[in-house]
Amino acid sequence: MPLLSRLFSSGGPSAPGVRPTRLWSLRPKSDRESGDAITSNFLLHWFPAKVSKASMAWSYSFWLGTVTAALFLVTILSGLPLLLLYVPSVERAYQSVKDIEYVITFGRWLRAVHRLSAHGMVIVVVLHLARVFFTGAYKNGLGRNQHRQWNWVIGVAMLLVTLFLSFTGYLLPWDQLAFWAVTVGTNIASAVPFVGPDIRELLIGGRNIEQATLIRFYVLHIVFLPGALAVLFAYHMWRVRKDGGLAKVDHEEVTEAPRLVAPTPTKTYTLLGVARGTSPAVTARSLVAADTTVNAVPDMARRSMIVTLGTLAAISILAVFIASPLEEPANALVTPNPAKAPWYFLWLQEIVTDTTLHLGSFTINGAFIGGVILPGALVALLTVWPWLDTSPAITTGVWFPRARRTQNIIFIVLLAAILLLTYVGMAMRGPYWQFYWPWEAWPDIPKRI
Amino acid sequence: MSDQKPPSNRRDFLVKIGTGAGVVALATQGAASLRALVPNVSYDAPTTVKLGPPADYPDGLKFLADERLFVFRDGNTFHAVSATCTHLGCTVRAEALSRPETKTVDGQPLKLTHKFSCPCHGSKYDGDGTNVAGPAPKPLSWFRLSVSPDDGQLVVDLADQVDRTFRLTI
Repeated sequence: MPLLSRLFSSGGPSAPGVRPTRLWSLRPKSDRESGDAITSNFLLHWFPAKVSKASMAWSYSFWLGTVTAALFLVTILSGLPLLLLYVPSVERAYQSVKDIEYVITFGRWLRAVHRLSAHGMVIVVVLHLARVFFTGAYKNGLGRNQHRQWNWVIGVAMLLVTLFLSFTGYLLPWDQLAFWAVTVGTNIASAVPFVGPDIRELLIGGRNIEQATLIRFYVLHIVFLPGALAVLFAYHMWRVRKDGGLAKVDHEEVTEAPRLVAPTPTKTYTLLGVARGTSPAVTARSLVAADTTVNAVPDMARRSMIVTLGTLAAISILAVFIASPLEEPANALVTPNPAKAPWYFLWLQEIVTDTTLHLGSFTINGAFIGGVILPGALVALLTVWPWLDTSPAITTGVWFPRARRTQNIIFIVLLAAILLLTYVGMAMRGPYWQFYWPWEAWPDIPKRI
Repeated sequence: MSDQKPPSNRRDFLVKIGTGAGVVALATQGAASLRALVPNVSYDAPTTVKLGPPADYPDGLKFLADERLFVFRDGNTFHAVSATCTHLGCTVRAEALSRPETKTVDGQPLKLTHKFSCPCHGSKYDGDGTNVAGPAPKPLSWFRLSVSPDDGQLVVDLADQVDRTFRLTI
């Protein structure tokens, strides 16, 4: 028998006493065996013993959280070889990235995998946040000791860390794109009243973007931010379990009345009283009823692996076709025209452009309003939303319920506004940040004075 | 007896001392680590820079990339305007006016030969540095120019902002 089919065959040799050897050999015959497989395995201990079929549905969560985690894994894995190839010094950073791109075997692919999974993470994290919002999954159901709203806050923190992680990675190639994006980004920090300039100086290690800045961003990028994200991620997952799994389960708990089901053959019971009727029956809710749940191992484990593998495959294939940009070496003397922030900050660049207020002789810098106040307010609103949402618990874990229509519309409008501003920044801003329709040609402006 | 302390008091005390010492140690370490990240010595470029002999400067404008500075010459008077956008610090670009015009700036006439635009967020400035459009919150800075007593070179002090009536006459 060929090796592969032997590894994966479910049958195997049928001689008595001969056990087939398989790569994935666990076929639990009972709930207890399934539960034991989990508690005795470190990795699988993340999983509960049983999960409801409904919460595993592709169409409920789209598995966006798992995709995000898989992307984080891919950024770490592809970051490891880059760690050995990249040199964090202003003299050599650009050249080392150029070597990765053009000289080192598979370097271009590794860098593309790293970049695409990082950008993908930003996209999927936002989609995941939108899914949780639209299904009201930050709300507590009827379970005990649920603190879903705090897990939502952790999630918001993880979104910010993801963005900052991406932003710090942006500087590392030390090209024009990197240098000016960081110039603008850190100047936004210095627009905070009173402490702003000090924050900027602490962030970039001086008054100018120099070696001190590069090493600070580098260490943030490879140590502090991934570490913070890993800790937050572990806590996030632990909370998901403590809160009783996905919010969908709570909805089922509420909507489906307990019913009498026949006990599963392997369940053991203590005789506590004399039962009426002619057959034993137990009262079960949907979460524990045998026909609405499956064992997490192998059902959920298999699906997580499919999602992880799919993500890995998609990124690996895309990375062959989508090259990572590398502009001219960083030059503090020449600002590119136009100079654009990373795409996920372009909506902010649009806002800082449009929000300088002139009130008589008094002026408020747009950097403060658009770069600090507005995004700060948005994050604050996002953070406290679970406490503002007073819709009934029955709407937890349901897509677009009527009772949450207004807030869903507000969320969609805000998201659409951000997407629109991002698109305007990407496609409709030419030299000197002038507005051009996508079909308009940009005027020919000399690159240097 | 009422004045006898419960037997656990010493243990409580030691736990508190231990916890306190731990917190103080961590806080001190944390503060020291953060303080170490604030530079005591600046390796940034010096703010007083020699710009070469005045004779090197043509009438009109010369852009000095290293200093991010525009030096204007009108006959034998000079003035210097910063090229750093007051919005978010990008380097503005100069565009020559098709016809120079004269504007009264703070009571003094000034010949304007250029205007400035910022590539990052589209701020626009007049030739004297006044912000006229876009998100820039204030005008471009003017810096003090002087002549070096030792070799007669033009000197700019990038830490010394002057008002817009300043002219260096040679």
